[in-house]
Amino acid sequence: MKSLALENLSKTYFDPYRGTQFTAVKDVSLNVEEGDFVAVVGPSGCGKSTILNMIAGFVPITSGRILVGGREVKGPGPDRGVVFQSFALFPWKTVSENVTFGPKMRGVGKAERAKIAEEYLALAGLSHAADRYPNELSGGMQQRVGVVRALANNPDVLLMDEPFASVDAQTRMTLQEELTRIWEERRPTIVFITHDVSEAVFLANKVVVLSKGNVLEQVDIPLSRPRSWDRLVEDDDFKALSNQVLQLVRSA
Amino acid sequence: MMAIYTLWGYYARWTARWPMLAAFIPFIPLIAIWAFIVWLELFPRVFLPGPLDVIGKAWELTYKGILGDYLIDSLSRLAVGAAAGIAIAIPLGIFIGLNKRAHEFSWPILLFFQAIGDIAWLPILLVWFGFGLTTMTFVIVYTVLFPIVLNTVLGIRSAKPDLHRAAQSLGAPRGRILLEVTLPGALPNIITGLRNGLGYGWRALIAAEIIVGTSGIGFLMFDARRAGSVDEIVVGMIVLGILWYIVDSWLLAPIERATGERWGLVTK
Repeated sequence: MKSLALENLSKTYFDPYRGTQFTAVKDVSLNVEEGDFVAVVGPSGCGKSTILNMIAGFVPITSGRILVGGREVKGPGPDRGVVFQSFALFPWKTVSENVTFGPKMRGVGKAERAKIAEEYLALAGLSHAADRYPNELSGGMQQRVGVVRALANNPDVLLMDEPFASVDAQTRMTLQEELTRIWEERRPTIVFITHDVSEAVFLANKVVVLSKGNVLEQVDIPLSRPRSWDRLVEDDDFKALSNQVLQLVRSA
Repeated sequence: MMAIYTLWGYYARWTARWPMLAAFIPFIPLIAIWAFIVWLELFPRVFLPGPLDVIGKAWELTYKGILGDYLIDSLSRLAVGAAAGIAIAIPLGIFIGLNKRAHEFSWPILLFFQAIGDIAWLPILLVWFGFGLTTMTFVIVYTVLFPIVLNTVLGIRSAKPDLHRAAQSLGAPRGRILLEVTLPGALPNIITGLRNGLGYGWRALIAAEIIVGTSGIGFLMFDARRAGSVDEIVVGMIVLGILWYIVDSWLLAPIERATGERWGLVTK
C-alpha cells in the first residue's frame, strides 16, 4: 500500500451541445497518507466521480498531477484497484475466477491462484459461493466479490466509487461494517466516493467535502475503531460530526 | 373442470420427461384442421392431399432413397456455405466492432450489400459461375455473412464500459481484455447472428436449389411441381420445418443455455 497525492488537479470537458467548456474539477490538491481511509462527499455534479475516474486513469487529466507512491499516474493500472457502483463483475466468470482475475493477468499460476481465491473469499465470507456465477448472487454478495477482487490484486490504492449505493439499506450497513473490519485488518489506502454523509463519517478517517469541483473542507473523523452501527447510531460524537459534514454538503 | 386439470397434469409431466413431445403437441390441432378441410372435400385430392397421403409419400421417397440423398445434399451444401460464412463473418465483425475507422468506413457498404438479398444475386451468379455448386455456395456464404457480421459488431460495440475499465484496472492487457471480456460479452449477439444467418442461409439454399439445383430438397419440391405431385411438395415443406427445428433446438439453443442464459445476460 502506498500514499496518494493529487496536485492542482483540473478537468475541463467540452460540451458539444452548447459548444462551451465545462469545468468539472478545478485545482484540487489532496494528500492521502499510506494506509489512510479518506471519503469524498459532495452533492451530485460536484466532480467527485470525475476525480476518481482521473485517479483510476479512466479519463484524461486536463492539468495537474496524480502521484501514487511518488510515481505519476498515466492511464489505468493494477496499482489502483477500483470497486464500481455497478459491481462490474465478469458475468461469464465464476466468483473465484473473478477474484483471481488480476493475479491471472499478472501470470500467477493456477495453484497460487487457488490459494488467493480461498484467502479472499474467506475474507468476504463467500467461501461457499466460489463456483457460482455473479448473476446467481444477491447484490450485497456481488459487491463483496467486487471488493475482494480489487484487494486480491494487491493494489497500492483502493478506489471505491459509490460502491454500496445500489444495495438495500440493511445490506449496506453490513457491508460498511465489513469494509471497516477489512480496513482495520489490512490497512489498505482507500479513497471512497459517496453522496451519503453518514456513510462517509462512519467509514473514514477523513472526510473531504467537495463543492463545484473544489475542496470545500476536510473534516477529521477521530471516532474510535472498531466501528459498528449498533454503537455509533446513538453516539454523540458521530451525530455531531455527521451534522457538521451534512451542513457543509448542504451549503456546497 | 377436474378432468381438465388432470389432463393438464399429465401434459406437464410427460412433456417435462420428453421435451420433443412438447414441440410436437402444438401441431396436433393444426394437423386436425388440415385433415378436416381435406375431409370436407372442398378441393380435389390432387390439389390438397391429406396428412396420410403426405406420410405415405414421405415413406415412399425415403424407401426409394431419394429423400435421404437429397437431404444430405442440401445439408452438406448448407454446412459448407455456413462454415465458410462464419469463418469470414466473425473475425470481420470483431475487427469492425473494435475499430472505429473500419466501422465508419464499412458500415455503409455492409448496409448496401445487405439490401441486395441472396437471390437477387442469382442472375449475375448464373452468368458468372453457371448452374453449379459455386453459385449455391456463394449465395449461402453471402446470406450467412451479413446477419453474423452485423450482430457481432453490435455485440462488440455494446460491451459495458465498466467491465472494460475493471479489466484494465486489474492489469489486463488489450489482447486479454478482448478474449476474456469483450468476446464473452458479445457472445449472445453472435449467437443471435448465427441463428439469423443460418435461418436465412437455409432459406436461400432452398431458393437456390429451386433455380440452380440438380438435387436437394428445394429441387425435389420444384421437380414435384413439374410432375404435378402436390403431396411431394408438401413433404418437402414439412422436411424444411422439421430440419430447422432440429438445427435450432439441438445446436443453437444448447449453446445459448450454456452461455448467455447461464451468465444472466439474456432472460430465459
